[in-house]
Amino acid sequence: MLKLKGVSECFYPETIEEAVKLLKEGKDSARIIGGGLHIAAFPNPLIRRLIFLNNLHLNYVKENEGRVAIGATTTISELINSGAINYYNGYSIKKVLQSIATELLRNQITIGGSVAQNEPYSDIVTLLAAIRARVLISSGDRESEIPLKEFYAGNFRETLKHSIIKEIVLEKKGEDFRFGMERFVKNATEIPLLNMGILVQLSGDTVKDATIVTGARPGEAEFFTEGEEYLKGRQLSEKNIEIFADFVEENINVDTDIRLSKEYRAHIAGVFAKRILTSFLREV
Amino acid sequence: MKAHFTINGEKKEFEFSEGEVLLDLLRRNGYTEVKGNCYLGTCGACTVLIGGIPRASCVTLAAQVVGQEILTVKGIGSIKHPHPIQKAFAEKGAVQCGFCTPGAVLTAYALLKNNPSPTVEDIKIALDGNLCRCTGYIQQIEAIKYAIELIKGGK
Ligand SMILES: Cc1cc2nc3c(=O)[nH]c(=O)nc-3n(C[C@H](O)[C@H](O)[C@H](O)COP(=O)(O)OP(=O)(O)OC[C@H]3O[C@@H](n4cnc5c(N)ncnc54)[C@H](O)[C@@H]3O)c2cc1C
Ligand code: FES
Ligand code: FES
Repeated sequence: MLKLKGVSECFYPETIEEAVKLLKEGKDSARIIGGGLHIAAFPNPLIRRLIFLNNLHLNYVKENEGRVAIGATTTISELINSGAINYYNGYSIKKVLQSIATELLRNQITIGGSVAQNEPYSDIVTLLAAIRARVLISSGDRESEIPLKEFYAGNFRETLKHSIIKEIVLEKKGEDFRFGMERFVKNATEIPLLNMGILVQLSGDTVKDATIVTGARPGEAEFFTEGEEYLKGRQLSEKNIEIFADFVEENINVDTDIRLSKEYRAHIAGVFAKRILTSFLREV
Repeated sequence: MKAHFTINGEKKEFEFSEGEVLLDLLRRNGYTEVKGNCYLGTCGACTVLIGGIPRASCVTLAAQVVGQEILTVKGIGSIKHPHPIQKAFAEKGAVQCGFCTPGAVLTAYALLKNNPSPTVEDIKIALDGNLCRCTGYIQQIEAIKYAIELIKGGK
């Protein structure tokens, strides 16, 4: 069964500049290949040109002065096995990454491919957006590093027609930050039915700042701005967390799809918010 | 296109289509020990090791892994000289219909190469992408634990 029937050209560029040139030349029928999972699992007959990043040496996780730089072709498994992200703001990102999909897929899914694809159910996007990751875009001769939030707010699909994702950058946060993430799946090979990541900055036991991201809503990951505003200035107490869980259930922007109803998703979102914030309480 | 791969230790050249997945290339060239089922990356029947790492060959483009070392289940042992993991799977009832077995054995092989003394949790995480409709997994986990003993005992 030939999966990608239209493909007639494969390229292995040695530089980002060359990769971008090939991408631009190929227009809508060219694709950069990260892990190739999305491309191979959901074949698009219009794709003619594949541009492999194998020779660009973008498989790395580098830690330097509070910054963790993750090369675009780093797989989830490689990220898990790098010591750099074991604990991030006191929270084990490794645990979240290990719960994504299966070992076989974690060995293939790349961080750059996940960010570029921005799959509606992506756990990687929810995780990275919630911890305020930044993305380094390169066209070879020009590079720019912007927050993921800004990247998705703009027309990122257009941007990726003339540049590639080179790196994802995490900035280590201070002791006053807490992070947690939850995802709801029926089994390991299922895509998530809902996920949520929450980062808060505390001043004593009061929330100074918060980032809340929900994915698999079933739409693309989204910042829950009302929730972020609601939390600011509030004390993190059991009672307030209960009230906030109800607020989330009532206000979160989720919907119905074939797999789950809007009401069920909203309820789970409330439960997730309560679970994550309660886990912070234990550390306050 | 034409390219070289090293399969089970032998360097070979194959002609294949630019959009072809590794599973199809392998089966077309006689490596039928690699099974195909879901073609979506969700069952693990098509597992091979690429550079020692378990990968679903049904969603791996052949063009992406040119020049790399590929291992199928026949590359780790034979009926006459089985690898301890193959022996353990047979002895511990971890094989029923056998469709998942090549993939599960290879995943176990990669696990034990990297971590010769895995916990049961480590085994479960490693095998989470290799679905088995028959055994209920308990026998597979027992087989891997037994294989560890066999390997440590030099058998
Ligand atoms: C069965 C299955 C289960 C899954 N389960 C989960 C899950 O539980 N959680 C989860 O988060 N995700 C899951 N995924 C989704 C997976 O994360 C995405 O498909 C992801 O895009 C795969 O990454 P990749 O590196 O293989 O991407 P690719 O297929 O290589 O690329 C995806 C897109 O990104 C572009 N691209 C790739 N790299 C770059 C780059 N460096 N710069 C610019 N553009 C680039 C490609 O051109 C393509 O358009 C699942 C996918 C499948 C098939
Ligand atoms: S056939 Fe490849 S994972 Fe199912
Ligand atoms: S032995 Fe039949 S699927 Fe595993």
